[in-house]
Amino acid sequence: MSAPGKTEPTDLVVRARTGDAEAWGDLYREFAPAIFRFCRRAMPTHEDAEDATMEIFMKLRDKLSQFDHTRSFSAWLYKVAANHCWDILRRRKGRQNKETENVDDIPLEHPDPNQLERLIEERSNEEVRKALGKLGVRARMALVMRYYSDMSYDEIADALGVQRAFVGVVLLRARHELRQVLGENSALAVGGTR
Amino acid sequence: MTPNKHLDEMTLLLYVERQLDRERAQEVSLHTQTCTRCLTLLRALDRESRLLTRAMLEQDEPFPARLAEFRGAVKRSMQWIWGLVFGLAVLGVYTLYASYIEPWELQLEQAGFGSTNLLSLMVFQGAFWKGWQSMFTLFEVLALAVLAGSAAFAFRKYIRRGSALAMVFASLGLLLATTPAASASEFRKGESVSVAKGENIIGDVFITGDHVRVDGTVDGDVFAFGHQLDVAGHVTGDVFCFAQGTRITGRVDGNIRAFTNNITISGDIGRNVLSFNEVLNLDPNGKIGHSLTVFGQTITLDGRTGRDVVAFFDQITLSGTIGGSLQGKGKSLTISPTAEIDGKAEFEGAKPATVSPGAKLASPLQFTKHQPHANYERGVGYYIWRLIWTAAFVLLGLVIYGLFPRFAVDTVEAGEHYGAAFGLGVLVTFGLPIAAIIACVTIVGLLLGLSTLFLYVIVLLCTGIVVGTIVGQWLLGRTTDYWPLVARMALGVLLVRLVTSIPFIGFWATLAVVLWGMGAISLAVYRRLQPVVAPNIPSVPTGPVGSPLPPNTTVGGI
Repeated sequence: MSAPGKTEPTDLVVRARTGDAEAWGDLYREFAPAIFRFCRRAMPTHEDAEDATMEIFMKLRDKLSQFDHTRSFSAWLYKVAANHCWDILRRRKGRQNKETENVDDIPLEHPDPNQLERLIEERSNEEVRKALGKLGVRARMALVMRYYSDMSYDEIADALGVQRAFVGVVLLRARHELRQVLGENSALAVGGTR
Repeated sequence: MTPNKHLDEMTLLLYVERQLDRERAQEVSLHTQTCTRCLTLLRALDRESRLLTRAMLEQDEPFPARLAEFRGAVKRSMQWIWGLVFGLAVLGVYTLYASYIEPWELQLEQAGFGSTNLLSLMVFQGAFWKGWQSMFTLFEVLALAVLAGSAAFAFRKYIRRGSALAMVFASLGLLLATTPAASASEFRKGESVSVAKGENIIGDVFITGDHVRVDGTVDGDVFAFGHQLDVAGHVTGDVFCFAQGTRITGRVDGNIRAFTNNITISGDIGRNVLSFNEVLNLDPNGKIGHSLTVFGQTITLDGRTGRDVVAFFDQITLSGTIGGSLQGKGKSLTISPTAEIDGKAEFEGAKPATVSPGAKLASPLQFTKHQPHANYERGVGYYIWRLIWTAAFVLLGLVIYGLFPRFAVDTVEAGEHYGAAFGLGVLVTFGLPIAAIIACVTIVGLLLGLSTLFLYVIVLLCTGIVVGTIVGQWLLGRTTDYWPLVARMALGVLLVRLVTSIPFIGFWATLAVVLWGMGAISLAVYRRLQPVVAPNIPSVPTGPVGSPLPPNTTVGGI
């Protein structure tokens, strides 16, 4: 996960690692909005996202010395963020004892391509965001990691603690879950034939 | 792979995501060139990916001001300081109370402004609440809560929500916890339990028994549960009794809270008496230093009450002295020749009071004939007035929506967060007037308090409009346009007024409307006060690598 054509904040990171408060402040100001938005998509509430953002940067500051500067900083940052959010969500999931059923065993319905096209056509960004909030935590997390922060399948597998080969299945199931939520208020039935 | 056999969705998704190996990807590419169905699905998946990325990247809310600067260091090092700050705030409030509010109360009392009406009796003299906490009054607790809330609100940008709440509760907890720690409590239980004559107990005492006697001295509060309670000794604090029969022949420096079948007071009560009973006798030797509030069937007042008497009764006979005013509501009131009332005397009942010519009254007794409840005798006029008022509310809504269209929409939207609106509604509906009254105690806060009360009344009037609009939107659908919104509001207000006119249900419906509407308005105001965008923070992720990247969803060759 790197940004082609864009420069890494190498200098800022190096300075921040030496304890330069100004550099750290600049680094924070540069990345905090994007990380907050990541958390906002991944976490259930605004307050959770605020808290998570702050905690991620606190963790980041402690771990900055471990950062391998030959790698992409933003990729590393998103990985830290994803791990942190997933840890929180997983702990809560455990506490609330929700989503205990093994959804992975449920067979997926094969969508009707035309119906799927229509569903996508008719849904606004806002509706998608709202629907995203109604998904299970793993589904939401997987979609956010993939389509917001562009994490690779390996990174997603690592963060979610699943095998790499399983990431595609997780993403596909997440999409189905999303379509179901999006289609709830619609006459469209996305699932067609098995 | 033949063109007739369609590709599964998983394969197509992996192709879109560029996760297939080269050979398999070429197969998929070839297949989709000849299979319309698979090509359509492939395109749909690709578009779905783009929709997801677009939806997630879109800026839909500003970057929170609380996160404007990194506060990690502050958060870690300031925790103990916050504890200290709140601790000092508690001390400050107590000092404020002891130095200013309490002397003010005394001065007002000396100036003749005490003991004049039910409000002052209940709130300022604490007929109901005074004594429930042995040291701290409601004023202090409320003032502390207001102060802590204000501090948390003012510094919300700099502290994490959890820490702030923890600090507030820790301080309150500490405050409450240290109060009883000042004196040890004693528990006594048995068939016949007593504090013997000559015995001196320091601290509160809880006594349970069939027959409970206090002949000695208790330097604290007495909580008694039993069949019969006799207090012949000396209690420096309050007496809380839950007994069938209660007799006070000794001295109680504080208050008496009695839930009893019959109570006889022959002794000396330093402060107030609040009693729920069937029979209450204040003997000729009995003396109540401050006020008496009684809910009973038969009440005889032969002794002296220092201040006001508020009584709800079947029958009451007054032969003693009342230093303040008398407010009574019941069936019959008899004022004997030896009776004396130094303040105003009011009585609401079915028939006029019997007042002996020899009785000394500061002013003639004001009698109000008890009117049967209006709910049961509603004539045409009542409904006409309801209709006129409904029209007035709709007109008010029309004006308000015209003047503040954006705020109106925000308020209605806030009202749809039912839990938050109701919760906040309860807090504001009951908390705000109390806070305003507290502010009125000081000269500095008088203007603020009165303005708040004025605003409170206006908001109360608007609650029905807000709830009406929400109801209207339920029925006719959502809108933000002016006239359609007004139409929904008019319909909703009409329905709300109809429901609140129903006997018995009406009261609860009105309460619900007030709480809901008040919460919605408060929530909208709160959101308005929230800072929008932090300064110097870009509204879009403009940094060179701060922006998340769109996924590799381009499907080559399609």
